[in-house]
Amino acid sequence: MITSNSFADKLDQERWFKYFLIAPAVFIILLIGLYPFVKLILVSFQNITMFDNELSYQGFIHYERLFDDDRLWESILHTIIFTAVALPIELILGFLLALLFLERIPYKQVFVGIILLPTVISPIVAGATWKLMFDQRFGPINQVIAWFAGHEVKLLWNIEPALVWPAIMVAEVWQWTPFMFLILLAALSNVDREQLEAAQIDGASWWMTFRKIVLPAIMPVMFIALLIRGLDLFRVFDVVWTMTKGGPGTMTETISIYAYHMAFREFDVSYSAAIAFLIILILTVIVVAALRRMEVSR
Amino acid sequence: MSIQSIVRKLLIAASTIAVGLSLTTLEASAQSAADRAVEAAKKYSGTTLNVLYEAGLQPLDPKNFTGPLWEKLTGIKINVIEAPIDQLFTKTMQAHKAGSGSYDVLNVLPNQMPDLALAGALEPLDKFVDKYGYREELQKIAPVYRDNQMKVEGVIYGLPDDGDVLIMYYNRAIFDDAKNKAGFKAKHGYDLAPPKTWKEFSEIGQYLTDTLAPKVYGAGLFRQPGLAQFMFQERFRVAGGKFFDADTMKATINSEAGISVFKGMVEDNKYMPPGVEQWGFIEPFSAFLAGDIAMTISWPPVGRWAAGYGKGTEALNWIPETKIADKVGYALPPGGTPELAAGFSFGVASGSKNKEAAYLFSQWMNSEEISLKRVQLPYALRDPFRTSHFSNPEYRSRWSNAGDYLDVLKAGAETGLLDLSLLQTDRYEEAMRQAISRLWAQEDPKEILDDLAGQWDKLTKRIGLEKQKRVYNDWANKPNAYPK
Repeated sequence: MITSNSFADKLDQERWFKYFLIAPAVFIILLIGLYPFVKLILVSFQNITMFDNELSYQGFIHYERLFDDDRLWESILHTIIFTAVALPIELILGFLLALLFLERIPYKQVFVGIILLPTVISPIVAGATWKLMFDQRFGPINQVIAWFAGHEVKLLWNIEPALVWPAIMVAEVWQWTPFMFLILLAALSNVDREQLEAAQIDGASWWMTFRKIVLPAIMPVMFIALLIRGLDLFRVFDVVWTMTKGGPGTMTETISIYAYHMAFREFDVSYSAAIAFLIILILTVIVVAALRRMEVSR
Repeated sequence: MSIQSIVRKLLIAASTIAVGLSLTTLEASAQSAADRAVEAAKKYSGTTLNVLYEAGLQPLDPKNFTGPLWEKLTGIKINVIEAPIDQLFTKTMQAHKAGSGSYDVLNVLPNQMPDLALAGALEPLDKFVDKYGYREELQKIAPVYRDNQMKVEGVIYGLPDDGDVLIMYYNRAIFDDAKNKAGFKAKHGYDLAPPKTWKEFSEIGQYLTDTLAPKVYGAGLFRQPGLAQFMFQERFRVAGGKFFDADTMKATINSEAGISVFKGMVEDNKYMPPGVEQWGFIEPFSAFLAGDIAMTISWPPVGRWAAGYGKGTEALNWIPETKIADKVGYALPPGGTPELAAGFSFGVASGSKNKEAAYLFSQWMNSEEISLKRVQLPYALRDPFRTSHFSNPEYRSRWSNAGDYLDVLKAGAETGLLDLSLLQTDRYEEAMRQAISRLWAQEDPKEILDDLAGQWDKLTKRIGLEKQKRVYNDWANKPNAYPK
């Protein structure tokens, strides 16, 4: 016979055993996740530069500097505009492609594989490839345009202010639209067929079916895809770095490029820690707001 | 035994010892700097030295030639770590800040040497130089490199190891063509010859483009900001520009000289091949070898490879076939004071666990004996930097006009202009690179340079005006900072 006391002891032991089992994983997560974050905050209150290694508390000097740094706010603006333009394009193109591939088409798996190829390429390689594609002398893009125009064209995609953002956008959209496509194809494939058939029998229009049945069904997945891509776009570095290094001037400088510049070119380590903390803050606000909107934060 | 015989015996013994000692000293001094380094390094046999090198062709020297030879001679293994040239400073500083001791031997860009030395990333080398009797051989390095790329505040931090200089190359067939000569003289009233001024350069370039394009363009130059900034630095000073006011340390880059040079650079693009605004190192090089441009300005390897030196070497398979091998002409660029763009010195990382071995490897590489072999490697990017390299009969017979080539390099090493070197130089250069990229984006030259001057002033204020003024004036007073 088990007494109530011995039952409680056993429960207690099991609970501690559980904690014991998960302790190493929690420790590792704290070590690789929390420690750098805490260190980052500490460094942002010190004054570590190329020549100085001042480890004492320096107050909010680097945070105050953030407000006077026009180049920082310009880079944030560039990043927001870039994200706001590229994200809807990737979503729409990915969705249209997914709709196309919902139908039964011959060699569907082969085509899906080909479409997904850009996502497996390293972004730095993708950027370098597009830089060559847009090259005035050797790049095929100007040659194709020249063929259509019937005369030689001189479009300096990596230099001219009006062309440089579109060029970067093309490279980014080319590489990451397939990701949207894949996620949305999976979501669309799981929409309840019976509901679609019922809507069809009831004479619902395509738009009505899409708005009332398809969109609500794929919304959670689509939201997650948007969140992932939105965060990626906000942190964009590789493609822009390889194509323009943030130029001409600082015209295409994103927040990640600026943070890299301050940390690893100018070795203004504490100030770049403050920038990194600002980025974390902005992204946290975005993520929390997005999750609340999805009502999954609980 | 009489006192005299004792004295005689003592004298004989002393003489014998003295002669013996003299012979030993003679033997030691007869040893070359390279031999001394090898002998001393043998005690470190079995260790591995990590050597930071610019990525690309540069590391082929320690990988294929000097590394294996050094290991055979001393038992010390050489591990080459590569990084792009614009990352060398970052990697060096990162290793220093982290205290990782990742590198032993460093390739240091001379204008970044003050920053690295003052940050404590470089080991002072005087004690090793004296210990291994290397001062005399250091003196035989061409003065411009020896006096400007070795010391910071009087302390040796690097062994100058590369005679980088931007030289003009021209296609002699085009310049010697009777029709071109007559047509040019009729239009401009002087002979078609390698230009002595930037005005002549523009006139010749424009004339040749007008006459020969699209088959051949008058010229093609670096335009990517990282490289074009070297050309701007040179041309700005040739036009009489000064980077700062020596008294107030206020930036004067936006002077009339700066604006006229910026305007001139934009104007020059008009007679260069379409898309020249994107040209880095490879484009003018390959266009010159293909005979598509009549003039270019670049680093010394271009002059060797254009003449066909190294043809058939596996490492150089990527180089386009030269169509102008017997037509390459060498000259100093307009103004006659070429930019000593970049260059390399060997340094020892202060965080190295094998400092002495690292120094000995550097001394051996840099020595008269070994460096002569290294600068003649067909795939080498190290350019002649010792007086003896320029006059070496073997090198001068490498191709038909190798002597002309070496004479121009020697002249460049005498009149060449130093890259601007300040505390945190890269910050100033970064602002300059951005300014040039805005220039190609067709912004107003004056507005760009006013912004650049403003950025430089802010930087100076942040770094410390008095501190920076001292460093600038130290640099500006060097004989090769500004044209005489």
